[in-house]
Amino acid sequence: MSDASLLGVAALLVLAGAAVSLALARWRRPAGWVATGFVVAAAVPAWLVVVRTFAGGGWVHPTSVGLPSLGARLNIAVDPLSAFFLAVLATVAPLATLYSVEYMTHYRRDGVAKFYPVLLVFFAATAGVLVVDDFLFFLVFWELMTLSGFFLVVFERDSAVSQRAGLKYFVITHAATLAMVAAALVVWRRTSSFAFADLGRGVDGLLAGQPLIGHLVLFLFALGFATKAGVLPMGDWLPDAHPVAPSGVSAMLSGVLVKLGIYGLLRLLVPFLPVGPAAPVWGAAIALAGTASLFVATLTALRQSDSKRLLAFSTIGQIGYVVLGIGVAVAMLPAHPTVASLALLGALLHVGGHACAKACLFLGAGALLYRTGERDLRRLAGAGAVMPVTAASATTAALSISGVPPLAGFASKWLIIGACLLAGFVAPLYLVLALVALFISLVTLALFVQLLGSVFLAAPAPPRPAAEVPGSMAVPQAVLAGLTVAIGLVPFALLAPLRDAVAVVLPTAVPAAAELAGGPLGLVLRVDGRALAFWAPLVVVAVAVLVALLVHVLARRATAGVREVPVWHCGEEHDLAAVQVPVGGMYLPFKRAFEGIYPRVAVRAPRFPPWLRRVLDLDTWLYGPAARALGRGAAGVARSHVGIPQVYLLWIVIGAVAVVGLLLGLLGTGGAP
Amino acid sequence: MTAVLLLLVVVPALAAVVAGSLRSDAARRVVAVVAAGVVAVLALAVLPAALRAPVLVELGDVPWLAGLVEGPMFGVLLDPLSAVLLLVAAVIGFLTVLYSTGYLREANRDHPVGHEGQARYYFWLLAFLASMTGVAVAPSFLQLLVFWELTTVCSWALISFRQDGPSLAAGFKALVMTHVGGAFLLTAVLVLFAVTGSFGFDALARLPDQLRPWVFLMLVVAAWAKSAQVPLHTWLPDAMAAPTPISAYLHAAAMVKAGVYLVARAASSGWAMPPRVAVVLGAMAVVTMFVALSYYFVQDDLKRLLAFSTIAHLGYVLLGVALGALGSLTAFRGGVLHIACHGFAKATLFLCAGAIAYVTGSRSIAALGGLARTMPLTAAAFFTGVLAVAGLPPFACFWSKFMILSGAMELRGPVGPVVLVLVLVESLVAFAWLLHVGQKVFLGAPTPAAAVHSDPPAAMSVVLVVLMIGCLVVPAVAMPLVLGLVR
Repeated sequence: MSDASLLGVAALLVLAGAAVSLALARWRRPAGWVATGFVVAAAVPAWLVVVRTFAGGGWVHPTSVGLPSLGARLNIAVDPLSAFFLAVLATVAPLATLYSVEYMTHYRRDGVAKFYPVLLVFFAATAGVLVVDDFLFFLVFWELMTLSGFFLVVFERDSAVSQRAGLKYFVITHAATLAMVAAALVVWRRTSSFAFADLGRGVDGLLAGQPLIGHLVLFLFALGFATKAGVLPMGDWLPDAHPVAPSGVSAMLSGVLVKLGIYGLLRLLVPFLPVGPAAPVWGAAIALAGTASLFVATLTALRQSDSKRLLAFSTIGQIGYVVLGIGVAVAMLPAHPTVASLALLGALLHVGGHACAKACLFLGAGALLYRTGERDLRRLAGAGAVMPVTAASATTAALSISGVPPLAGFASKWLIIGACLLAGFVAPLYLVLALVALFISLVTLALFVQLLGSVFLAAPAPPRPAAEVPGSMAVPQAVLAGLTVAIGLVPFALLAPLRDAVAVVLPTAVPAAAELAGGPLGLVLRVDGRALAFWAPLVVVAVAVLVALLVHVLARRATAGVREVPVWHCGEEHDLAAVQVPVGGMYLPFKRAFEGIYPRVAVRAPRFPPWLRRVLDLDTWLYGPAARALGRGAAGVARSHVGIPQVYLLWIVIGAVAVVGLLLGLLGTGGAP
Repeated sequence: MTAVLLLLVVVPALAAVVAGSLRSDAARRVVAVVAAGVVAVLALAVLPAALRAPVLVELGDVPWLAGLVEGPMFGVLLDPLSAVLLLVAAVIGFLTVLYSTGYLREANRDHPVGHEGQARYYFWLLAFLASMTGVAVAPSFLQLLVFWELTTVCSWALISFRQDGPSLAAGFKALVMTHVGGAFLLTAVLVLFAVTGSFGFDALARLPDQLRPWVFLMLVVAAWAKSAQVPLHTWLPDAMAAPTPISAYLHAAAMVKAGVYLVARAASSGWAMPPRVAVVLGAMAVVTMFVALSYYFVQDDLKRLLAFSTIAHLGYVLLGVALGALGSLTAFRGGVLHIACHGFAKATLFLCAGAIAYVTGSRSIAALGGLARTMPLTAAAFFTGVLAVAGLPPFACFWSKFMILSGAMELRGPVGPVVLVLVLVESLVAFAWLLHVGQKVFLGAPTPAAAVHSDPPAAMSVVLVVLMIGCLVVPAVAMPLVLGLVR
């Protein structure tokens, strides 16, 4: 079966699933299982297409749908870049749907008729964004994705917070999309075609002929996609929207939707950027934006007490890493393409790793919410004993995001920061950015230690979760955590596909995967053939496991007993709750130092000038007076009808005389022979 | 073909008389629905013919002008442009009649209608349907004028349907303002006849250069009055005193579209519109869009808000036509497509407002909230309408707005980017406000007004479902017609 038909099958399955789950919506669990079944069934052909594309290269399948008068045609086009993001979607989506089956039962007032169908349309739209190569149809799927995301975010109808968050999300992203529409139309003016390749040529033409307009177009594209990706300050919608959605949806939003913003940057910005003197400027700008985002967001996350809001800020931070990698890639492209390839490689790997890890964390936060009804970290404590799977998955995912070896986040951050440091030899700015990124990595670790420590490890306090979450909610978390471990242990397995994806984005030649960063047992940072650094996770893990086994064996053979004593509190007996460091009490100097780092800007609605309102009110000063004047005039004329017959006879006589006189006059002048 | 086109006018006219004179309400409804259904089916059936073989048949003339007039006086015309108007007028007309059978009941909490109003209502509604199809198939300005004034009369009668103080005043105001437009149209037609000896659409191209701008300007002013554009826009918000199906049909989908149809017809017959007139038309369209936008934020009545939105969207059509007259065929096609797309989208919104008013008795945005719990279908239809009107893909108005913007960018000079920025800003603000209103009314915590237990009647729900499908499908149906418009 051809790849295009496989994708068609997947799309049909998802849409059929939407229809069937709508019909079954009265029964929550069956609707959920049906939806999950259809999504899993659709993920299979999607994965097939992904694997075949990586093996055989990109392909294009033209369809007959299009608007030739506008130069737009719907082609199904999958290349390694699309395939990578499609793989991320096809992994997280079935797991999030499976998770939602049980999770949605905890919403008492809101039914699932407005959940599963919309969720499946969301999946279909997201896949649609990835497989088109024409801007008009890209826009159609992009907006469909945004609007289905809106309806998922506002799922909790009664909550004013949800409604406000949804409105903010939709309006901000729609504004960004309209900016992109403007940019595309400016380029279309030159090319009369919306195909991505033609748009690229058009941008080149603009940069050569009208560079100011060309750079404005690039800026608008960057703005549009960066808003969707959640880069600050446009990404302000993210901390409001991600927490209020149902947790399966939050996982999709943080795991997949923001990655689509990155996809847009890689598809419609980076290939269009000029490989010339402007590239280092653009690269520096992008890298600075990414670094600012990761700095502000992670420090703000430190102060959050709502578990999901904390995770949302962490998402903004991690996207900052990806954007930093992209910035380094753009800057280094003209002179040092190898470093550029490494940076982009790291960015893409980070996309994959973060998608799995953040989705896992949101599912974990949702699991806690499901069992305790609580999102406030100050009130959650000691769930680890009762919820071991959730605790283990969340811990793994959190450590991955913090960049702890040998997990996925470490491999990708190693690549990004390594490339950034290498770039620092050329331009010292990147050295500073790399140091900031390293520092924030530490802050991220501190953030998650705080989160995990208080939620899972502290002594239990009410509200206590009664038990672990059901299997259908635990399995997705475990699978996602397992994926971060797998990616972390064997990152070189992904090198070849990722290298193909990088080659799609960067216009210059990218070295083969093995030369780029591949090594016998791990990753190697190589520049001009010289290996500068290596990371061999399997070796490290093997050594660690051996040492752990050794320690375990020795401990078993030890003969000295273990003495249990209460914790020493300097001689006084204290209640554990009184001396336990609460979540709000950790890292206080940092929190105080960076108090105002996320500025709150009061936006006042503009007032419409009253004088203009009066001018525009035509009824009051124009039509009303005119009508009244007409009425008065008519009344005046009416007064001439006095009702006395003699006066009317006088009118008739005067009129007859006048008419006869006029006729005689006209005949006289006209009739002369 | 000629017979079919004539039937489009004759069937609803006869049905109007029959429905007006029947004594039984049930029989009256049946006659009305059947007649409107026949018109809709016939209209859809002739659409393919409009593309393949445009038709212009002269059927007669006025005895005392025989021999003095060249070109058509009375007859029928079918070409892509008239087919688009016919599509909107006939299909939404049928849906409106069907909706009215459910809406005009005693159970209507906003506007209970007993036996005594039914005959009047259906008579005038079917008469309007006949007048509208008459406008669509008119082959000359003279016939267009006749049916144009008939639509004015029907609109007056239907706006004042309730016959209380405010609706009588609103009906009179609408009559006077649109009739002023009609006077401009009459003057233009007479000047055209006096100078070229013809009433036909293509006679415009034969006007001498000094006279042409004035005739076109008069036609444009007539359209401004009929389509409620600045400065003649004040009648439309007051016309919301009409029953909601009338607001949906006349004042969103059909009668106001007659004005923009006139300008589109004048612009495309010979492409003779002088550039200065086109610039004035386009500039006033943009001014109208922003003036209407400025009124959104102070509206509490849902129907008045939708009325201002209609005013803005008619500005879009005129902007497309103006850009078309300046040289961009894509923009012209976009403007004409917007006639169809906006008609369906706005009708959806108005009929949802009608459903809300029927069930809750309230049209106040401040008083309503959380209605999606008890009226989920209406909520779905309303949001579909909002997304369609705001121009979000894949819904209807996205395609037409995109074509207008692309067309603007096709023109040389600063016109393109200026129009682009202005239209996108207006789109964004209007979208944000309509979404906010939709959220306020349907989502959120339920207010006391929303504690209703009844659903709107089946007739109304079925129409809403059909319109929702229309919001997605109508671009596909109308696009071939629109692509048939050529220079």
